Amino acid sequence: MSTLTHPPPSTNPQSSLSFPRETFAKLSPHPYLLAHLTPNPSKRANSRTATQFRIPHINNGSLTHAEGSAVVRIGDTTVVCGIRGEILLASDVPNYRVTTGAPGSGLEERGVEEEARELDLLVPNIELSTGCSPQFLPGQAPGTLAQSLSTRVYSLLHSSRIIDNEELRIWYEPPDLSGMGKNGEDEIMEDSDDDEEDEEDKPEREIKAFWTLYIDILFISLDGNPFDAAWASILSALHDVRLPHAYWDPDREMVLCSDSVSKSKKLSLRGCPVAVSTVVFRAKEKRVGKGEEKYWVLVDPDTFEEGLCDECVTVVVDCTGGKTKMLGIEKVGGTVVGRGEMRGIVGVAEERWKEMSALING
Amino acid sequence: MTDRRRINGPSGGTSTPIYSSYLAKDPKEIPERPTRTRPPNVLRKMFLKTGVTPSASGSAYLELEASKNPNSTAPGLASLSTSGLKLTCTVHGPRPLPKSAPFSPHIILTTHVKYAPFATRKRRGYLRDNSERDLGVHLETALRGVIIGDRWPKSGVEVIITILEGEEDQWWGDDIGRGAIGAAEWGMMSVLSGCITVASAAIADAGIDCVDVVAGGVAAVVRSGNGGKAPAPALVLDPIPSEHKEIVAACIVGYLPGRDEITDLWVKGEIGHDNDASSGSASYEELADNAVQAALGSHRVLVAALKETADVKLGRL
Repeated sequence: MSTLTHPPPSTNPQSSLSFPRETFAKLSPHPYLLAHLTPNPSKRANSRTATQFRIPHINNGSLTHAEGSAVVRIGDTTVVCGIRGEILLASDVPNYRVTTGAPGSGLEERGVEEEARELDLLVPNIELSTGCSPQFLPGQAPGTLAQSLSTRVYSLLHSSRIIDNEELRIWYEPPDLSGMGKNGEDEIMEDSDDDEEDEEDKPEREIKAFWTLYIDILFISLDGNPFDAAWASILSALHDVRLPHAYWDPDREMVLCSDSVSKSKKLSLRGCPVAVSTVVFRAKEKRVGKGEEKYWVLVDPDTFEEGLCDECVTVVVDCTGGKTKMLGIEKVGGTVVGRGEMRGIVGVAEERWKEMSALING
Repeated sequence: MTDRRRINGPSGGTSTPIYSSYLAKDPKEIPERPTRTRPPNVLRKMFLKTGVTPSASGSAYLELEASKNPNSTAPGLASLSTSGLKLTCTVHGPRPLPKSAPFSPHIILTTHVKYAPFATRKRRGYLRDNSERDLGVHLETALRGVIIGDRWPKSGVEVIITILEGEEDQWWGDDIGRGAIGAAEWGMMSVLSGCITVASAAIADAGIDCVDVVAGGVAAVVRSGNGGKAPAPALVLDPIPSEHKEIVAACIVGYLPGRDEITDLWVKGEIGHDNDASSGSASYEELADNAVQAALGSHRVLVAALKETADVKLGRL
């Protein structure tokens, strides 16, 4: 941080600003941003327009020990997401009742659609204390922002039903020993859809274990809009996840994984929700009575803009299949945004969805 | 242990997936250990870049490539590959100390080193454990002598390192519970050497005055087990623990080439010294010299990266 000495006040009335722009931005941020937005065409301090996003860059598969990984850079915000899979044995789950039956045979009717949530099979965590910004230094427990981001991501993961419960189950089909005398072969295999004969004494498939996905998100650099970047990294990493083929070995009584890449499978995800955050910047800092005051809705804010606004709107949209679905709307603080502005924000979000889903789906 | 501020996994506890090739008894089924293809005095290619975190005073990113198994061309599954080294470092400061802190006539250096949860084969938690504190202390020792602290009284500087991918202590194929002897933490040596180099780049990026640019280098005495006879141990620079069957000793130094000084030296393992007339085995002095050579190699990459940074910064002015 260099010390700045500003030149003595000039007697020349024609002289322009005696401070460089950065000093002006630090000394009086609100008028600085207002001065950028007021003229027509209005631009923000970072020379974007009010509805212009930063260009995202996504990189997959760079981490060796993670089943799936993504590095997302949106402007100066850089996020690394690593997904590791671990095995949770069904016998380790307290109060677990053994679930049997073929997939889709009515498990959902038995009320297990909340399986991933009840068993905590998806564990996202957002770590901000990595020195990504001067406010987030390590050595502290997660503060309000980190905890609230983790919770929002957790609830969006489950409410969007992006991962089907079946993807995380590990079935075991006990061999049919009734025909032992005839062919004497003992096959230990996982489910095969071919021999689905309904014999009464054929032992049923059962779920022996589950995959638990630990989703760890680390912020390398933070310049505003952490939620969008974190969600984009999760989505991209989930697309990248490759789970090895896991099976129950009855002799050793444990779950083993096969290391052949051909047998491993990628997760099939439902939909592609994209999060878009905006802030509202008001012309008057303090509310001075009622009256028409100017305001601007700025999408994809950076740290400077976030510090000046107290009203924030986040929408999560999914336009797969041509129809726009809203998976979440969150509005915090302020009284400016009404139905008209909301419609505008959703329109902008649809545009962003096209860009992000093309990038994520490769 | 449930951490109430984080989202916890299943309360029953989960286990790392065990691969069937771990348990294979037939030696033909076990994939081969990666072997060292470089000559013993050649370092790995290093990628170093500064300025990855614009909001911090200074930052840097270091990446060392992973060793590839020459026999397999197909991409392996996550848990069976050997990892490289990926570190990021951010420097915040010099900042004023809080008012409650006692007066200090020189700058106070604080270091934090943290493994990301996905950095190693076994998932690490979010709370700092002893090995991370150990690395932090060594890093502080290495950097303390380099910064000209008297220019900033009553100030503090924080050096924060996040390890995105860390070296492993041994090849996973050796780890299968066959030996009850766990490997000593050889992976930490390469990690520390990388930490010193990347911290040095970030401090230079932050514009903090230093007497010289400190670089980290690591060397090891390894023994490759090929059958019955025990071959003579060899000295290698920049060892990858998973490439060697047995590491006898390893040494890491933080070295200042301009002044020919060592700021930090850490040796692990069994090693004799020059006065011992044991033939064939390396001595402590040789090991330290080799580590200094490795540090010189890192220094070259460091200086090239810093030159680029200086060009960018001055070009901007």
